[in-house]
Amino acid sequence: MRRMFLRRAGLALFLMLAATALTFAIVTAAPGNVAALIAERAAGAGADGEMIKRIADELGLNDPLPVRYVHWLGKAVAGDLGESLRTGKPMMDEFAERIPVTALLLFGGGVIALVLSIGLGLWGAVSNGGVVDRLLHGAALIGASTPNFFVAAMLVIVFAVGLGWVPSFGASGATSWLLPWFTIALFPASVLARVVRVNLQEAMSRPFATTGFAKGLSRRGVLLREALPNIAVPFITTFGAQFTLMIIGAIVVERVFGLNGVGAFFIEAIRFRDFVGMQAVLTLFVVFFVSVNLFVDLIAMFADPRLRRARRA
Amino acid sequence: MIKFDRRQLLATSAAFAFIASIPRVALAAEHETLRVGIGGETGDLDLLQNVSTLSSYTVVFDALIHYGPGGKLEPGLATAWNIAGDGKSISFDLREGVTFSDGTPFDADAAEWNLKRWMGVADFSWIGIADAYESIVKDAPNKITIKLKRPVPAALLELTIVRPVRFLSPKAVDGSGKQTAPIGTGPWIVEKYSSTETILVRNDKYWGEKPAFSRMELKVVPDELARANALRAGELDVIGGDWVAPLSPRRAKALEGEGMVIVAEPGTATTILGYSPKSPVMQDKAVREAIFRGIDRAAIATVLFEGFADPTVDIFPTTVPTAGTRHEIPARDVAAAQAALTAAGWTGGGGGWTKDGKALEIDFLVSEESFPGSRRIAEMIQGMLTEVGLKVNISSVDNATMHERRPAFQYDLTFFATYGAPYDPHGSLGASFVTASDTGPDGKIYISDELDPLVQKALETGGDAREAAMQAVYDWLATNVTACPLVVTKRLWAVNPRVKGFSLPATDYDLPFKGITLG
Repeated sequence: MRRMFLRRAGLALFLMLAATALTFAIVTAAPGNVAALIAERAAGAGADGEMIKRIADELGLNDPLPVRYVHWLGKAVAGDLGESLRTGKPMMDEFAERIPVTALLLFGGGVIALVLSIGLGLWGAVSNGGVVDRLLHGAALIGASTPNFFVAAMLVIVFAVGLGWVPSFGASGATSWLLPWFTIALFPASVLARVVRVNLQEAMSRPFATTGFAKGLSRRGVLLREALPNIAVPFITTFGAQFTLMIIGAIVVERVFGLNGVGAFFIEAIRFRDFVGMQAVLTLFVVFFVSVNLFVDLIAMFADPRLRRARRA
Repeated sequence: MIKFDRRQLLATSAAFAFIASIPRVALAAEHETLRVGIGGETGDLDLLQNVSTLSSYTVVFDALIHYGPGGKLEPGLATAWNIAGDGKSISFDLREGVTFSDGTPFDADAAEWNLKRWMGVADFSWIGIADAYESIVKDAPNKITIKLKRPVPAALLELTIVRPVRFLSPKAVDGSGKQTAPIGTGPWIVEKYSSTETILVRNDKYWGEKPAFSRMELKVVPDELARANALRAGELDVIGGDWVAPLSPRRAKALEGEGMVIVAEPGTATTILGYSPKSPVMQDKAVREAIFRGIDRAAIATVLFEGFADPTVDIFPTTVPTAGTRHEIPARDVAAAQAALTAAGWTGGGGGWTKDGKALEIDFLVSEESFPGSRRIAEMIQGMLTEVGLKVNISSVDNATMHERRPAFQYDLTFFATYGAPYDPHGSLGASFVTASDTGPDGKIYISDELDPLVQKALETGGDAREAAMQAVYDWLATNVTACPLVVTKRLWAVNPRVKGFSLPATDYDLPFKGITLG
């Protein structure tokens, strides 16, 4: 088990290195001149060609790409992700302020997606082809097809502008999180509800379900006691994938709701060609993706002994 | 029957009194707080760094001279000023009894310390008075004289700009001279700032007219629709301003229909269609003229800007000083545009033009990111010019590509905007119409060897002769059809009806608060 964990951790580390190298190359290849941006920040309209050249030389921007990457990596490993070209603050300070916001957004959205998807998936399976099942099917399709900026706008117009129940922007208390959470949870909840529903349907045709019925359990009893535990692995892996994708939703949701998280910072970093900021956020995303996937793999292994045995074999 | 002893009665009464007071407390706080939507965080308001948002400085820091309506110079921290006959020294009488919000007195020492932070410093040589700086003389505890190596006719206007010229408490820096706190003499004091909001409280020791309310909250809402919704929901009182929280004309129209007060005042910056001075096709004056005559500016102002723009053919609007005499805006005339091309030897017509076997095609560089709404304007212009027979290809690029291609003149047509008050006309003329000046990513609206001495003379001429020197530049630009001014967009704000007495300050870089009372 320990060896397996170490192997997975090693693979995760390799993935992180490869992904950061790739993002570094992409960010570097993007149009725009870091030195010009820094000069503009320092001198405004006074930034001239000579100043830009001096900054480029000082920062080693004329060095070959691999040299620059190794230089960046060395500092990143030591916890120095550079200073944002837009705000002038160290990226670690930006993260210290912003990661808790994004984490709370993802956590709340994740909990809502988890509860809604299991609840609605089960409800549909209980209805099994009835009106509720069909309605839930349609609702899931709509939920999975509606862009989150539109969902956000609708929720704000109804609940903040119309009814005045919740604030339309900012993190000013518990109620201010409700709309961002529901917005970010809608897509994964819709997808996962279908995953639960479809997997339950399949599980109900398996022999252990037939045995459950033979033992005199009701349909609801078989669903809860026999089928639901058996869909744990596909649900956990899909949930993991959806949870990581929520970070992409966070980029839009944070901006629309005026939350100062990592996603909102990323949008501004792109707009202002804040290469240092972009690279730091992309690195954080890579670490998040790889870590969540590693965690989900381990959870799935614990949940299903067959996976552990298969990996050992 | 319910019985109360004295203690219970007192406790119950106190509880009721407390509950009853809550709405009044909330209401009182609301009467005292103006909530302004801002598009991005204000930052630390470091006067020497080009990071924080310009509008936020203006409420905290004062200048020696303030920019009034139409470019009228008004006393700020200087009550009077005098330019020597040779233009090489300017003396200032400093306002007496002024203190920074940390209690430090504002006097000749503080003024000298502040001015020396940027005058004569290479990074700020783009400011004429900083580039020409020679020395500062303290004539008296409240009187200074700035000595210059050469006259700078726009010196007083330059002293009204926001950064770096405004005054910081000499105690608000560390040992290396880095600003540690935003301490000014202005009407507001920064209580706290973060990436989500900046809280300002009234400076009760302010030397000028104090604001009628005691607190201003600048709330960061990056998304324009979210700002509009927050205004609708009553969570914000004021949104708008190109440098604060841009409001699109279409959104302003929608808000107007929903009972919000829309304030639209003539703008100070001109949107200009620039012809590349290095493009072979744009060297032909007839092509420039065909474009100039083929565009319907009134239609652009009405359709794309919902009427929140004024058509123009002049480089600067009359809201900036020495903007020159007005030229008549010609009606769109397709026949005249085609006639100009024919007279210059182009053959063809509505289906396309050729000369010496070469088809006339125009590369129109557009970046929605650097100029929101420009894609729609470009498409409308493309449609208009197609009727003239000009084939226009729109290259839609991101901001960074725009910043690379524009200074390299890799386009035939592209959009520019003048800087607006208080930087104009000297700012845009000196940067965008002079070959030698290095404007980095901003590029040039038009440059030529013939134009350079005219602009140089206009920038160096002071006194009564300045207006004529400026007019010579404007006339040359108009006669040679070197640029195609389109519209002057209005300064747009949306205000909650509870805000009374809202009026716009003289420039887009100032936050509105003067005269405002809260209902």
